[in-house]
Amino acid sequence: MDPNTRITRRQALGASAIGATGLLTGLAWRGETQPVAARAQDATTVTLESWSPIQQTTDKMIAAFSAANPDITIERTILNYPDYILDVRTRAASDSLPGIIGLEPGALTQEYRQFLIPLNDLAVETWGDDWQDNFFPIGLDQARLGNPSGDESFYGLPVLTQTINLWYTLPIFAEAGLEPPTTYDEMLAVAEALNGMGVAPLLHGAADGWQRRDIYMQLAHNLAPGLIYEAEVGDAQFTDPALVEALTWYKRLFDDGIVQAGALGLSAYPNSAGMILAGQAGMFPMGAWWQQEAANEDPPELAQGLQGYAPFRFPDISGSGAPPDDLLGGIDVMFGITTAAEDPAAAFTVLADFISGAGGQALIDTFNDLPAVSGLDPQTFASDHQQQVWTAFTEEWLPNVKYARQLRDAAVKQALEDALAGVASGEVTPEDGMAAVQAAWTAPA
Amino acid sequence: MRRAIQGQEGLLFILPALVFFAVFVVYPIIYIARASLLDWNGLAAGTWVGLDNYTRLFRDDPIFHKTLRNAALWTLLTIFPQMFIGFGLAVLLNGPILGRTIYRAIFYLPAIVSPIVIGIVWQRIYDPFGGLLSDVARRTALPWLSQPFLADPGTATLATIVVNVWQWTGFSMLLYLAGLQGLPGEVLEAARIDGATGLQRLRQIVWPMLRPVHLTLILLGLIGALQTFALVFILTRGGPNNASQTMPTYIFQQAFQLSSMGYGAAISIVLLAIALIASLGQMRFLGSRFVVGQGD
Repeated sequence: MDPNTRITRRQALGASAIGATGLLTGLAWRGETQPVAARAQDATTVTLESWSPIQQTTDKMIAAFSAANPDITIERTILNYPDYILDVRTRAASDSLPGIIGLEPGALTQEYRQFLIPLNDLAVETWGDDWQDNFFPIGLDQARLGNPSGDESFYGLPVLTQTINLWYTLPIFAEAGLEPPTTYDEMLAVAEALNGMGVAPLLHGAADGWQRRDIYMQLAHNLAPGLIYEAEVGDAQFTDPALVEALTWYKRLFDDGIVQAGALGLSAYPNSAGMILAGQAGMFPMGAWWQQEAANEDPPELAQGLQGYAPFRFPDISGSGAPPDDLLGGIDVMFGITTAAEDPAAAFTVLADFISGAGGQALIDTFNDLPAVSGLDPQTFASDHQQQVWTAFTEEWLPNVKYARQLRDAAVKQALEDALAGVASGEVTPEDGMAAVQAAWTAPA
Repeated sequence: MRRAIQGQEGLLFILPALVFFAVFVVYPIIYIARASLLDWNGLAAGTWVGLDNYTRLFRDDPIFHKTLRNAALWTLLTIFPQMFIGFGLAVLLNGPILGRTIYRAIFYLPAIVSPIVIGIVWQRIYDPFGGLLSDVARRTALPWLSQPFLADPGTATLATIVVNVWQWTGFSMLLYLAGLQGLPGEVLEAARIDGATGLQRLRQIVWPMLRPVHLTLILLGLIGALQTFALVFILTRGGPNNASQTMPTYIFQQAFQLSSMGYGAAISIVLLAIALIASLGQMRFLGSRFVVGQGD
């Protein structure tokens, strides 16, 4: 059977189930705890599998949802990312996918598109015609990353969003009398001071490709805003001098002693995170999700109330002096409803709740990352500083995120991450590195 | 007639094992072999490409060539050091040493610890920025210890191999201890009475008599070296710049991260072929008198 035919039927079934009952209860923005949509049946079970949020957080979300929706049972499976990728692919091949699956925008979503239900109609039924207005724009843009030309369907919706930025450790900067750098020269001066204190200037877990790529994307958008996406669709080349120059700047971070020694052998989690929490890092490249360290049980002193950390934007390296217009971010995790969902309407009820209902509130209360919708804030803050950081993220940065963290093609992403490691290790020139990225590129559908 | 019936009865006895073998070994191999001939992402229908995946592997893929080199390094540099060090420890701890049971447990402990945990801990040990080795280097005037072993493409593979040897030497020790305790005491006693020194007894009597243990460790080591995934994945992610990539980590990257299931399947078949040839070659040239199984 053509998967698209099944999608249409499921979609129709789901929409009619909601419409027939007429039980929409309206939007659940701002963390209201009522069910976002009532159910057509007395009791149903929705299966969910993902790698994020972590199990303890997911259980809190389920508990919050279940309190308001006793007729829907959620059976969750939370695996670590490699296991999840392996498991969900096996399930797809054996026609045993759960009803809801965790997705990343771009390659992962597009691979599973044939197994996913377009959510547009369900979103309109649940939240109304203007439902998109409540989402942060970058989340919705990225949710459709890589869709075939003309396909405006949402095959998944963001549950958590994020910004990509740098952080600095407040007590270390205070002790050294430093301010977060805004230019590369300032960054060099800060690095020199921090090296003198025996602290890693920029603690980079460069064994992880995603962290290499995050830094590169910030450099690339600083030098040539948006150019890399033009290269993705074939309107520019990855070998463009500006993109090569960004790779050269990445190498300079290592050569100039800004990145700590041995960075390519250090993973972002758990090792670099542990060092950051132990106060061994002056600056570090994490996104908005770093806030969750304050919400962990018995956090280290620096993380308590987030008192030891503050975010800042990647310094301007272009030397243009123009106000930076290169905020990077996107989706942390999104959920899609599969064609295997026995009750797509129930699955969407869960999804909607996790985005903006009681489950979403439970999620945001953990500071896991930023919400997908505006106006959803943690119910309590441990300190004024923590609240100020949260407000800066959700009201100043996230609404203005212009560039997506993710790339649409997995092969290009891998080639870029390889090129960054190759250049940083001195085995590959920036020109050859970006030529390898271009070689991995294939024209999008 | 009677012999035929007995033959059928015999077949019935081995039928469960045959079914198990067919379902869980033969069928997956056939499935993967077929997948290796497809351009397939594992989800949509694949496209038949014949031997193109194999051609690409051997002709155009420098990362795969690195995995072949690393497989050879892993095989040579894990099996024999683990055997020799394990044998030495076993000989030491087979003697009358105070607290030898505790030492045995300590040396064996890494073998039962998750490679994930070991990878995380050793990554910090190797870290030149505040890791244990760099601390030792600072305090002992041995600056080479503070090199970025995992961050340098030239040393990353060797650094992961060292960790593997550290983890599995205790296992070799355990098997050798069992072997040593099974040796006939009268042979060693006769050698001693005939004037053989301790080293002579070790080299000319004990070592040859432990041949089944050697063969077992070589076979297990070979399979383990070729299957290494978790330790490398945690320690280096196969990097930097794919320098420490092994065939299993590369299969994972291709099949599951890049959705090139057909290509990943082709690497799997090559890995299977290497493992089969190496194992059969070992049995052909060294024999098959393993510790497990029927001895003589």
